[in-house]
Amino acid sequence: MNQQSAIKVKNLTKNFGKDENLVKVIENASFEIQKGELVALIAPSGAGKTTLLMMIGCVQEPTSGEIWLGEEKVYDNKWTAKDTRKIRREKIGFIFQAHYLIPFLNIIENVTLLPQTNGVSEKEAKQKAMELLEYLEIADKAYSMSSQLSGGQNQRVAIARALANNPEIILADEPTAALDAQRSISVIKMLKKIAIEQNVAIITVTHDERILPYFDRIMKIENRAIVFHKLDEDKIL
Amino acid sequence: MINLAKRDIEHTLGKFIVTAMGVGMLLGIVLIMIGVYRGMMVDAEILLDDISADLWIVQEDTMGPFAEASRVYEDMKNIIYVINGIDKSEAITFQNIQLPHSEKPVRVVAVGYDIYGSINPVNPKRLIAGRDLKTDHYEIVVTDKTGFKLSDKIKLGRNFYTVVGITHSTVSSGGDPLVYISLKDAQELQFLYSNKEIQNNEARGVKNSESHMVNAIIATVKNGFDVDEVANDIRKWQHKSVYTKEQQKEILTKNLIEKSAKQIGLFTAILVVVSTIIIALIIYTMTLEKMKEISIMKLMGLPNSLIVSMIVKETLLLGVFAFIFGNIFSHLIYDRFPKRIVLEIPDAWTLFGVVIIASILASFVGVKKVISADPAAAIGG
Repeated sequence: MNQQSAIKVKNLTKNFGKDENLVKVIENASFEIQKGELVALIAPSGAGKTTLLMMIGCVQEPTSGEIWLGEEKVYDNKWTAKDTRKIRREKIGFIFQAHYLIPFLNIIENVTLLPQTNGVSEKEAKQKAMELLEYLEIADKAYSMSSQLSGGQNQRVAIARALANNPEIILADEPTAALDAQRSISVIKMLKKIAIEQNVAIITVTHDERILPYFDRIMKIENRAIVFHKLDEDKIL
Repeated sequence: MINLAKRDIEHTLGKFIVTAMGVGMLLGIVLIMIGVYRGMMVDAEILLDDISADLWIVQEDTMGPFAEASRVYEDMKNIIYVINGIDKSEAITFQNIQLPHSEKPVRVVAVGYDIYGSINPVNPKRLIAGRDLKTDHYEIVVTDKTGFKLSDKIKLGRNFYTVVGITHSTVSSGGDPLVYISLKDAQELQFLYSNKEIQNNEARGVKNSESHMVNAIIATVKNGFDVDEVANDIRKWQHKSVYTKEQQKEILTKNLIEKSAKQIGLFTAILVVVSTIIIALIIYTMTLEKMKEISIMKLMGLPNSLIVSMIVKETLLLGVFAFIFGNIFSHLIYDRFPKRIVLEIPDAWTLFGVVIIASILASFVGVKKVISADPAAAIGG
């Protein structure tokens, strides 16, 4: 596994409101995640997990700090990246609680939409999509609609979609929330495999303790700061 | 590149078609309204064109038989005839009458003309059965919309009239069916009172009124003479109001139809605005239904232009399909209306342009929603 930095965050702060209404969510958070790492992000509800995920994903602007995605500094007390949407399109894959596939597109169209937007030819995008669907063992459903697939199958398609643009980072927001224990473990194992084989850094927000042993590191928001826990610690949550 | 609009429409094809049909019916009504106006314009000119007179001589200070009551003596036609430049001149009457019919009385406009005269208002091209009038009394030529057939007997006043001819598409400027009777019959119907009324009048010492009156004298002008100059001569020496054919048309279209046209125009404009609002609401609702997907697309990094183009294309397609349905709908129902509806291709193209502009305007509400969509809304938490 290459030890290359995929995400580097320095003194990241996020506040909401002003003066007496000021709410500090994240304060001076600093951490680094390597390519090929599968990291769990845990914290009680409302602690700022999604906010952190959205700041790393260039969706929500931090109050201050620095963010690097790979070699590119995208935030330095203001967005330094000209087009944050382009950054998302080219560098980041997203997986959500539900699959959120576009219902009017079939499976392969869902997977090829982003690469085609990035200028990849339809033929090339389809070839890559089929490879991903085969990799995720769902290639036989390539021309089905998402309404014809089970929840687990759709979540695998959503993973294929997140990988279709060859991202350096995957941000997953509780991808196993809608799945039973067995399927949750199956999905996390799959993400682990992807992180290693595709050399992608994956941050997964989760509340599910049962899947924590499968992560390389556990990142927790504690008192607005980021702390890492080792897997052998008795009590994580 | 995947055509998102096409895929979305295919996914909800039934809903899309039903919506387009609904909007299409509204657009069909718009076309019908325009057709009503066109029909009025055509109707207004039918009688004038069929009579084909250069001059209309009517009672002084009146606007003629189509706009105001006008009475002139029948023998005025002889006085007019001898004026320099006049080729032909004839007397003519117009009156609203009700024809008794087995189902319900038919309101018509009766044109009375001298069957031996030089100007025949019955256009042979419109005669689809029978013949025009050949005798001075008790014959009538009706239009097909009255529902009468050849040889039918119709009681008018004291007498029975035989249907000897049937015309097609002959209506008055007001859209009522036209019938033709001889001038003598028309004068009797218009000016001859019942026996009781005559006795009553005589008892009161009132002399029965002159029945040799007509509503207008129509005349044609010889080649080489200026119509306006001949008209001026008649105005100057005969103390009558004289209108050329063009002036009569103007009286009909501008004075009589203008208000109706404005009313129809206003209705049409309101319908177009309503259609635009409905399209906008439909697109807004369709966009709202896709907000989660739109947020996800924005979160994934898809450019606004791609999503906006999907919304605009869908709106335009809705407008185009609605326009097609509207045309089909209007052509299916237009001949069921009692008055003439004229559907013209240039009007349809104009409406198409309006629909396209309306669709683009309507898409703005959806586009605004897309632009304001928060990509963060895709992530729960």
